[in-house]
Amino acid sequence: MRHDLQDLAGGVILTLIGLAVAGYAVASYDLGSLRRMGPGFFPTALGVGLAGLGAVIALSAWGRGARTLTLAWKETLAVLTSIAVFAAGLERMGLVGVTFGAVLIATLAAPDRRIAWRLALALVITALSVLVFHFGLKMTAPLWPVGFGTGAQ
Amino acid sequence: MTGWEGFLHGLATVTQPGVLVYCVFGVVLGTFVGVLPGIGAMATISLLLPITYYLSPEAALIMLAGVYYGSQYGGAVASILLRLPGTPQSAVTTFDGYPLARQGRAGVALFTSMSASFLGSMFGIGVLVALSGVLSHAATAFGAADYAAMMILGLVAASTIGATAPAKGLAMVVLGLILGCIGTDVNSGTQRFTFGQTELSDGINLVALAMGLFGVSEVIGNIRTAERTGVPPKVRLRELLPRREDLARLPFPALRGATMGSFFGALPGTGSTISSFLSYAFERRVSRSPERFGTGAIEGIAAPEAANNAAAITAFVPTLTLGIPGDPIMALMLGALVIHGVQPGPMMLEARPEMFWGLVASFGIGNLLLLILNLPLIGIWVSMLRIPFRWLYPAILIFVCLGVYSVRASVFDIFAVAGIGLAGYALSLARFNPGLLLLGFVLGPLIETNLRRALLVSRGDPMVFLERPISAVFVLATAGLIALSLAGVLRRARQKT
Repeated sequence: MRHDLQDLAGGVILTLIGLAVAGYAVASYDLGSLRRMGPGFFPTALGVGLAGLGAVIALSAWGRGARTLTLAWKETLAVLTSIAVFAAGLERMGLVGVTFGAVLIATLAAPDRRIAWRLALALVITALSVLVFHFGLKMTAPLWPVGFGTGAQ
Repeated sequence: MTGWEGFLHGLATVTQPGVLVYCVFGVVLGTFVGVLPGIGAMATISLLLPITYYLSPEAALIMLAGVYYGSQYGGAVASILLRLPGTPQSAVTTFDGYPLARQGRAGVALFTSMSASFLGSMFGIGVLVALSGVLSHAATAFGAADYAAMMILGLVAASTIGATAPAKGLAMVVLGLILGCIGTDVNSGTQRFTFGQTELSDGINLVALAMGLFGVSEVIGNIRTAERTGVPPKVRLRELLPRREDLARLPFPALRGATMGSFFGALPGTGSTISSFLSYAFERRVSRSPERFGTGAIEGIAAPEAANNAAAITAFVPTLTLGIPGDPIMALMLGALVIHGVQPGPMMLEARPEMFWGLVASFGIGNLLLLILNLPLIGIWVSMLRIPFRWLYPAILIFVCLGVYSVRASVFDIFAVAGIGLAGYALSLARFNPGLLLLGFVLGPLIETNLRRALLVSRGDPMVFLERPISAVFVLATAGLIALSLAGVLRRARQKT
C-alpha cells in the first residue's frame, strides 16, 4: 500500500510540535481560568489544536499516493552556506570580503558554473551593497577585515 | 472630511518629492518583479521591510503598496508572452493571453491587460473610499469579542476557501499563531518560549520571518526552475494598438471584473487570485460566444485583469479600517505600519487622515504612472524577461542578509533567516502555504489580546461570542466555512474510492 509520505511526515511533525508546545506551556506557565486567562492558556489551546490538525493531515495521507518529490538539495546547501558564511564573517571579515565570498558560494548552485561571470557578478553586487548599505544607509558593520586598519587595502 | 477634500489632502501628501519618489520606485520595482518569474510581490515586500525603517510611515506604506499593485501589471507580461505567470494572480491571463500572442497579437493582449488593470484599479479606489467611510463608522461599535471573532473568521476563510487541503492551511495558521506567542506576554509580562534568549524577548523578528519564508525559500526553490524560460517574442509599440472590435470588447468585461474583484478583495480570505479566476468563469458564462474563451478572447483578459487589480486595492479596506489584514500581503503591510508604531483601526481615518488619503491618492497616481509608463516602455519590460535568474538570486540573498542585519545590527538574525528559509523551503516542498503562517503570526497577538479582554468582560462566559449580534454572525460564518470544507473533503474522498 502506498502512502503520501510528505503529508504523513508533515502531519506527524506538526502533531509532535503541537504536543511539545502544549506540554511546555502547561508545565511552565500559569493557565489561569476562562475569566482570567494566564499566559499559558492561549499557547496550550493552540498546541492541542495543532496536534489535532497534524493528526488529521497524517491520517488522511494514509493510503493515498504521493507526488514524486524533487529536492533541490544542491541549491539548498549553496544558499544556506552562503548565508551562514555571510553571518559568521560580517563583523570580522568586513562587508567587502564577505559579500564577495557569499556570492561566489551562492552561484555554485547556478546551472552555469563558469568562474568569469560569477566573479563579475560578485564584483557588481559587492559594489552595490557597499554603495547602498555602507554609504547610503550608514550601516555600522566594518568594510574591511578588522585589525587591518580602515580604508587601507 | 468629505471625499474630495480628503483626496486633495492626500494628493498634497503624495506629491511631496520625498513621498512621490517612493511611489514611483515602488511601482517600477513592482512591475519589474511582476515581469520576472522567480520573484514575486511577497518576497519583494519582505526585502523592502528593513528600508521602511528609514522612511516616514506614509512613504513606507505607499512604496510597499506600489510594489503590490505594480506587480499585478507586470505579472501579465510573462503570462501573455511565455505562458508563465509572473504572479499567481496573473495565471488566468495565460488562458487567452498566450493564444493571442501565438497569433502574433501579443501587443493587443498587453494593451488589453494594462488598460483593464487601470480601469479595475480606478474602480477599486472608488469602492475603497466609499467602503472605508462606512466601515470605520460601523467599526466603532465593535467590541473585543467582535474583533476576536472576526479575526478568527478571516484566518479560517483564508485557509479554507478554494483550498484542496483545508487541514494543512489551518495547521499553518495555528503554527503561525504559536510563533506569534513567542516573546513577552502583553498581559502578564511573562517571557514565553524564549528559553532564556534575550534576542527572543521581543518575539520573532517579523523581518527575519518574512525574508526567510519568502525571500530565501523562494530563491532555493526557483534557482533550477526559473531558468527554463523561453525566448519572448519582440513587441513593437505599433502592435499595441487594438482594432475597433477589440476595443469594443474591453469596457464591459472590465467593469464586471472590477465589480467582482472589489467585492472579493474587501472580504477576508478571498483575494485577488480567487477573484481573477471567478471573474474569468463568470465572463465565459455570460458570453454569447463562450467557445472563443481559451483561444484568445479579449474578454478573457480584460475581466480577470480588472478583477485582480480592483481586489488588490480593496484588500486595504479591512486592513486600514479594522486593522485586520485579510491576506498575507496585507499582513506584511500591517507589519510595516506597526514597525512605525501606527496601529490601523477605525480611528485611523480620523486620527491620521494624511496616511489614509495619501495612500488613496498614491493609488491614483501610481496606476496612472503604470499606464502611461508601461505602454511605451513595454519593449524594455519584455527584454527584462531575458535576464537569467542566476544574475538575480545572489543579489537577493545578499540583500536579505544585509537588510535583516541593518534592522538591529544582529548577526543572530541572519542565522535565523537561514534557519527560517530552510523551514520555509521544507514547507513549500510538502505543499504547506507559508503565507498563512505569516498571517497567523501577525494576527496572533491581536487575537489573544481581544479574546482575553472579551472573556474578562463577560466574566469567563464563552456565550458572549454568540450573544453579541456582530460576533454571532462571524462565529456562524466560521462554522459554516468549516462545515463546507469538511463536506468538500468528504465528497472528494468518496469520489476517489
